[in-house]
Amino acid sequence: MSAPSSDADSIDALVDKLKERVAERRRAGEYPERLVEDLDAHFERIAAHRFPAYDFDVLRAKLGALDAAGAFNPDQISYATRVPGGSFIHRLLGKVVRRQTEGILAQAQRHADAVRDALWEVVAALETPAAHTHVDLVGEIEAIFEKLATYERTVGHTTAEGLARRVEALEARTVNEFDPWYSSDHFESRFRGASGDLIERYRDLAQAFEGIRGPVVDIGCGRGEFLELLLDVVGDSRGVEIDPELVRQCVERGLPVEFGEAVSWLGAVADEGIGGLSLIQVVEHLTPQGLVDFVQLAARKVRPGGRVVVETVNPQSLYTFAHAFYLDPTHKAPVHPAYLLFLFEEAGFSKVELQWRSPCPPDDRLAPVDAGSADGELVRTINANNERVNQLLFAEQDYALIATR
Amino acid sequence: MRFDQVVVTAAPGDATTGSAFEIRSLLRRLGPSEIFAQNIHPDLHEEVFPLHDFRRTSRGSRRPADDIIIFHGSIGAPEVFSFILGRPERIVLVYHNISPADAFLPYDPAFAGLLESGRRDVARLARRAEIALTPSHFNARELMAMGYRDVRVWPLIVDLDRMRSVVPDPQTVVDLDSLDGPMLLFVGQMLPHKRPDYLVQAFHILSTYLVPEAHLALVGAPRLESYRRRLFTYIDELNLFRLHRVGFIDDAILAAYWRRANAWVTASEHEGFLQPVLEAMGFDLPIVARSYGAVPETVGGAGIVIPAGDGPEVFAEAMAEVLTNERLRERLVALGRNRRASFSADASRAAFLQHLVDVA
Repeated sequence: MSAPSSDADSIDALVDKLKERVAERRRAGEYPERLVEDLDAHFERIAAHRFPAYDFDVLRAKLGALDAAGAFNPDQISYATRVPGGSFIHRLLGKVVRRQTEGILAQAQRHADAVRDALWEVVAALETPAAHTHVDLVGEIEAIFEKLATYERTVGHTTAEGLARRVEALEARTVNEFDPWYSSDHFESRFRGASGDLIERYRDLAQAFEGIRGPVVDIGCGRGEFLELLLDVVGDSRGVEIDPELVRQCVERGLPVEFGEAVSWLGAVADEGIGGLSLIQVVEHLTPQGLVDFVQLAARKVRPGGRVVVETVNPQSLYTFAHAFYLDPTHKAPVHPAYLLFLFEEAGFSKVELQWRSPCPPDDRLAPVDAGSADGELVRTINANNERVNQLLFAEQDYALIATR
Repeated sequence: MRFDQVVVTAAPGDATTGSAFEIRSLLRRLGPSEIFAQNIHPDLHEEVFPLHDFRRTSRGSRRPADDIIIFHGSIGAPEVFSFILGRPERIVLVYHNISPADAFLPYDPAFAGLLESGRRDVARLARRAEIALTPSHFNARELMAMGYRDVRVWPLIVDLDRMRSVVPDPQTVVDLDSLDGPMLLFVGQMLPHKRPDYLVQAFHILSTYLVPEAHLALVGAPRLESYRRRLFTYIDELNLFRLHRVGFIDDAILAAYWRRANAWVTASEHEGFLQPVLEAMGFDLPIVARSYGAVPETVGGAGIVIPAGDGPEVFAEAMAEVLTNERLRERLVALGRNRRASFSADASRAAFLQHLVDVA
C-alpha cells in the first residue's frame, strides 16, 4: 500500500520547490559557481589515484610477529612417534647430537635475523617518499594543488577573512558598476553648482601649481572645471575621468581628457614622469587600500619639486554629513585631514600643508547673543559655548592638502 | 520433505544473510533446516555450514527430488551456480538482485566480472527454478526478462518489533547524546553503487551552506577496500569532521544510532529492495532517497525521493528540509507508520509458506 495520491502529489510539489530553491541559491551566488563540478572532479581525482599497493601497517605487524616469535629452540623439537619405545630412542639420539643441532640452529638463527633486519629496512625504504616513482610524486603534488583550489573555492569564502575579502570586492564592484540612468552632468549641476561657479570657487587653489612644469594631471576631472584652470596656470595639463559620459562631454568641449581609474592610470605612467597631480573631490571615492596605493604611486610618479593638490570633504565639520557628503551615492568614506597629512609625509613629500576651504553659510551658524541686553558674564559663557558648537558643527566644509615632492 | 537454503556469502549485517536466518526460523517449525554457504564469516561458523557439507546432510530414505533448495541469488559465484544447477532437488529462487557490475569496474574489475557472470547464471537458472520469489516489482521485471515463468513478489520478512526491542548500547547512547545538532543516518554497505560518495557531497553542501550543525553517520561494513580507501580519503580532504565513519556495528550499538538519528538517508543508485527504509519507518525517521531501482516502490510515497540525475545540492536541500521543517517531519513520520504497517512480518511469513505449499 503506497501513500495516498494527494500525499504523493504534495511530496512531488515539495521536490519541485527544493529544486527551485537550489536554482535561487545559485542565482544569488550563495554557492560557488562550479560547486558540484569541483566536488565531482575532486572525487574522480581520488578515485583515479594509485594508492601504494602495500599496506605498511600489515607489513609491520607481520614483521613484529616475527620479532616476537623468539629464538630457535632445540627443546621444541618433537620426539613423538607411533613406534613403541620410539620416542625414547629419538630422545636418546637427540641428546647425542644436541651439540650439532644447537650449532645448526644458531646458524639458522643468524640467517633468520639477517633476513628480518633486511625486511625492516625494505619497509622503511618503501615508506620514504624518495623511493616513490616520479609519476606518483607529480600526481600527489597535483592532488594537493587541486585540493587547495577546491578548498579556496568551496570553503575559503566561508571563513571570516574570506568573507571580509569577498565583501570588500563586492563593494568595490558595486561602486565601479554603479551605472545610474540619470545624467551625471545634471547631478553635478544640481549638487555641485554650475560650471562657472566652480571655476570661480577653485581659481585660488589652481594657483598652487604656479611655476610647476607640466604635465599636471587632474584625476577625476569631472566636467573639467579645474582642468580649465590648470590649462590657464600651467599650460601642459590633462584630465583623467572614470565616467564615460563626462569624458565624452569634456572631449566635445576640446579638453584633453581620457578615460581611466586613478590608481591604474597612474600606475602606467613613467616614474617621475609628471609635474603635478590634482584630485578635487576624488579621494572620498577610494577604498582605504586604493588611497594608500595612490599616495605611494604619486610619490613615485611626480618628479622632485612637483606638486600634488588633494581637495576633499572635511570630516571635522559635522555640517558636511548633513549636506554634501551623503548627497553623492558613490562616496565611500571621508578622509581625515590628519590621516591624509600623515600619508603624504610618510610617502616622502618634503612639504605638506593643509588649507581650510568652503566656510559654512554664516546664517547656518549659531549667532552670538547680543551683549547689551543681559548680564555680561552669562553672555560671555553662552557665546563661548556657541563658538565651540560652531567649531564642531560648522567648521569649513572642505580642506585641501598641498604637498611638494 | 526437507527445505535447506544456499547463499553465496554468509556475513553478519548482510541483508541476504539476515533474510536467510529469518526464513530458517520459519522452516525449522516444519522440520530440520540448514543454511549452506560458499564463504562464511568466522562469526557465523556455528550457524552456517560450508557448501561441500551439503551432500553429507542426512536424507534418510527420501528421494532428493522430494526436497527443496531455497537459493538466494545475490552475487556472482560460478561454483555455487554450478552446484545448484547440478542438484536433483527442486529449486526455489529468492532473488535479492545482483549489484550492477559497472559501478565496481574502477575499483575491483575481478569482482565486477563476478557480478556480470552472476547475472548470466541467474538467467541460466530460469529453466530449473520452480518459482522465483522477489521483494520488488523492479526485480520481478528483471526476472521475467530473463525468462522466469512463475515470478512472485513477496515482501521480505522484516521483523521491526524485534529490532525495536533491542536494548541500545548504553555507552553509545551517552556518546551520541553528547553530540550537538541533528543527525542523519545511513545504514548500508559502503559499496560504489550505493553512492556514499554522492551522500558525502550532499553532506558537504548541507554542513557548509545550509545546516552547519548537522551530523552524518555512515553505518555499514566497507566490503571493498579500494573503494573504502578512496571514500575515506575524500571525507578527510573535505574536512568533514561531523561525518562519522561508524562501520559495521552490532545490533545494540545500531539501536542507539536508530534512536538518536533525526532522518535516514541514502543516495543509492541500485536496490532490489531497500530493507533499511522499513527499519527507518519502524524508528519513526523521515527518509530522503533517490529514484533508482526498487527505491521508489519500497518508499511508497512515504518519504522524499529525489528524481534520478538530480545533483547533490537538491539532495542537500531535502536533508535540510526534513531537519528543519517540523511539520514536514511529522507528516513523513505519519506516512511512514502507515507504510510500515503494510509490511507485517507475520503476513510475510504466511505468504512465504503459501508459496512453498504451491511448489510442494
